Amino acid sequence: MIATYAPIFLILVLSSLIAGAFFTGASFLGTKKPTHEKMLPFECGSESTGGRHVKLSVKFYLTAILFVVFDVEAVFVYPWAVQFRSLGWLGLGSMFGFLAVVVVALIYVWKKGALEWES
Amino acid sequence: MNHIDYYLVLSGLLFTIGGTGFLVRRNVIFTLISIEVMLNAVNVALVAFNRARPENHSGQVFAFFMIAAAAAEAAIGLAIVLSLYRLKRTVRSDEADLLKN
Amino acid sequence: MGLVFALSPLLIIAVGALLLMMAEVFFKQRNGLALGATLVFATAGAFAGSIWMVGVENLPGIEALSPWLITDRFTLFFDMILCLGGALASLLAGGYLPEHNIDRGEFYSLLLFATFGAMMLAGSGDLLTVFLGLETMSLGAYALTAFRRASPRSIEGALKYYLLGSFAAAVLIYGFALIYGATGHTDLAGITQVMASGKAEMPLMLMALGLVFVGLVFKVSGVPFHMWTPDAYEGAPTPATTYMAVAVKSGGFAMMLRVLLTVFGDAQSMSWSSGWPPAMAMVAVLTMTVANLVAGRQESVKRMLAYSSIAHAGYLLVGVVATMRSQTQASAAVMFYLLTYTVSTAGAFGALILCGSRGAEAVSYEDLAGLGRRHPAAALPFALFLLSLAGIPPTAGFFGKWFVFHAAIDGGFYALTIIAFINSVIGAYYYLRVLVYMYMREPAAGAPVAIPMKSGYVTAALVLSAILVIALGLAPAGTLDMAVQAATHSAG
Repeated sequence: MIATYAPIFLILVLSSLIAGAFFTGASFLGTKKPTHEKMLPFECGSESTGGRHVKLSVKFYLTAILFVVFDVEAVFVYPWAVQFRSLGWLGLGSMFGFLAVVVVALIYVWKKGALEWES
Repeated sequence: MNHIDYYLVLSGLLFTIGGTGFLVRRNVIFTLISIEVMLNAVNVALVAFNRARPENHSGQVFAFFMIAAAAAEAAIGLAIVLSLYRLKRTVRSDEADLLKN
Repeated sequence: MGLVFALSPLLIIAVGALLLMMAEVFFKQRNGLALGATLVFATAGAFAGSIWMVGVENLPGIEALSPWLITDRFTLFFDMILCLGGALASLLAGGYLPEHNIDRGEFYSLLLFATFGAMMLAGSGDLLTVFLGLETMSLGAYALTAFRRASPRSIEGALKYYLLGSFAAAVLIYGFALIYGATGHTDLAGITQVMASGKAEMPLMLMALGLVFVGLVFKVSGVPFHMWTPDAYEGAPTPATTYMAVAVKSGGFAMMLRVLLTVFGDAQSMSWSSGWPPAMAMVAVLTMTVANLVAGRQESVKRMLAYSSIAHAGYLLVGVVATMRSQTQASAAVMFYLLTYTVSTAGAFGALILCGSRGAEAVSYEDLAGLGRRHPAAALPFALFLLSLAGIPPTAGFFGKWFVFHAAIDGGFYALTIIAFINSVIGAYYYLRVLVYMYMREPAAGAPVAIPMKSGYVTAALVLSAILVIALGLAPAGTLDMAVQAATHSAG
C-alpha cells in the first residue's frame, strides 16, 4: 500500500535535488560585486525613508483574531449542517444556542468599533 | 495497537519539540508557537488512539473541541503579547523582569 | 423540565454574562454592572441551593446530559462556593475599579464566564468537559489578570501566568489523551470501570498519571509548580487576584478531586507503595514549608497574601492525601476548608482593597502602619480575616484546619499532620506581622500612607465575608454536614 506513494516521494526528492543544485550552483558560479545601490532594500524602485520601527496598529491583530474565532465557529457549523436531518429538533436547538452566543459576541464586537478599519 | 505506533511516536516527538521550544525560546511569539505545537501533538495522539479503538468517536470529538480551545487560547495569548509590545516595545521575555523574588 | 432545573446555575451564569456584555455596550452608565453581576451570582447560587433542597434524586431527566455534565451534591456544593467567590469578587470590583481608573464593564462578564468554566469543571463527568471547563476558567483568569493594560507589571504577570498555564494545560491534556488510549473511554465512570477490571494498559496509565499529576498540581499552585502564582497575583488588579485566589483555586481542587478520585481512585493507584499519595504528600509538605518561609520575607502585603494562598493550597493537599484512607471524610474536609478559605481570603483581599484609594493601593507593610489608630473601621475587618487565615478560634479558618487535620489523623498520617501543624504555627507569624504594623506601629513622618476608600460595594463584601467567617467559626456543624453529603453522593 505504501508502494503507491513511491512516485510522489520520488518527485519530492528529485525536485529538491534540482532546486538545491540551482541554488548552490548560482552561489558558487555567479560573480559577486556588491555596490551600495545593489545592497539597498527593494521598494519597487523608490527610495526607502523612515526608521525601522513600525507603529503597530491594533486593527491588524483584531481583524486576524476575529477571523480565527468566527472561522472556528463555522467549523462547528459544518458537521451539524451535514447531519442536519438525523440530529432532529434537539440538534437544531443546540446549534441555535451556540449561534446565539456567537451572535451576542458579534454584536459586542460590532458596537465596540472593532470592525472599523478607518478609525 | 501496533499499526498506530508511528503516530504515537510522532505525537511524542512533537510534544517534546514543543516543550523544549517553550522552555528555551526567548521570543514570546515562538513560545506561543511551541504551545500550539504541543496542543497539536495531543490532537495527533487522540486521533491515533481513536483509530486503534473504533468503538466510539470520543477521540475525534475531543480533538475537534481542542482545535477550538487552542484557537481561543492563541487569541488571548496574542492579546497579552500585543499589550506587552505596546508598553515596552519588545517581545523578548528576558526583558520582562519587573516582578522578581 | 428537571433537566433545565438541574442546569439552571450554569444557564443563569451564561445568560447573565451575555446580558451584561450587551448592557455594557448599549447603556452608558457604569455603576449598575457590579450590582448586576452580584445579582447573577446570587441567583445562580440560590438555584444551586434550591436544587440541593429539592434533592437531586427527585429530578427527572437529569441523566440526559450524563456523562458530560453530572449534577450531584458535589457539583452543587462547589457551585455554591464558586458563586459566593464570584459575588464577593464582583462586589469588590465595584468599589475598586472606579477608584483606580480601570472601570471597564468587561471585568464582570469575564468574571461570569470564568465562573461558568469553573462550575462546568466541578460538574464534569467526562475528560472532555474537564478540559473545556478548565480552559474557559483559565482563559477568563488570564484576561482578568491582564485587565490593567497600562501597567507593565500587570502585563508581565499576565504573560507569565498565560505561558505557564498553557504549558500545564497542554501537559494535562496529553495525560488525558494517554488515559483515553489506555482505557478507550473518556467518561470518568467508564474509565473507573476499566481500571477496576484491570483491562487498562498500565504503562500508558502510569505515564498519564505522571502528566496529569503535574498539570493538576500546577493549577492549584503547589510547589514546585507555583512560580506563576506570586507574579500573577501581584500584577493583577486586586479584585481579579481575589477571584483567582478563591474561585480558580476552588475549581482546581474540584478538578483534582473529580479526576484523581475516579480515574486514579482504584486500590492500586491509591496505595502508598505504587500510587500517587506519596508524591502528593511530598508536594503538600514542600508547598506548606516553602510558601510559609518565603511569605515571611515579603515586603508587599499583596505578595504575602499570594504566598499565603499557596500555603493554604498545601494544607488542602494534605486533605487530598488523606482521601487515600478515608475518602468521604477527607473530601468533605477539603470542601469545607475551601469554603472557609474562600470567605477568609476574599475578606483579607477586600480589606486590602479598602485600605487604598484614588489610584494608590496599599502595597507595603509601611502603608498600613498605624491603621488601627487612624481608621479603626478599616483595620478591624482586616484583623478578623487575618486571624481566620491563621486559623485562630473561633473563626472559620480554625475549623477548616481542624477538620482537615482530623481527617489526616484518622487516616493515620501522623507525620504529615505534625508538619502541617508546625507550618500553621509558622504561618501565623506573617499574619500577625500585619496586625503588629496596623496596631502597634506609627507611620514614619512624611511617608505616604494609605487612605481607605469609601465604597458601599467593598463594605458590603466585607460585611458579608465577616458574617460568614464568624458564623462558620461558631457553628460549623451544619455546613460540614452538607460537605459530607456532597462527598458521599459524588458520582465518582
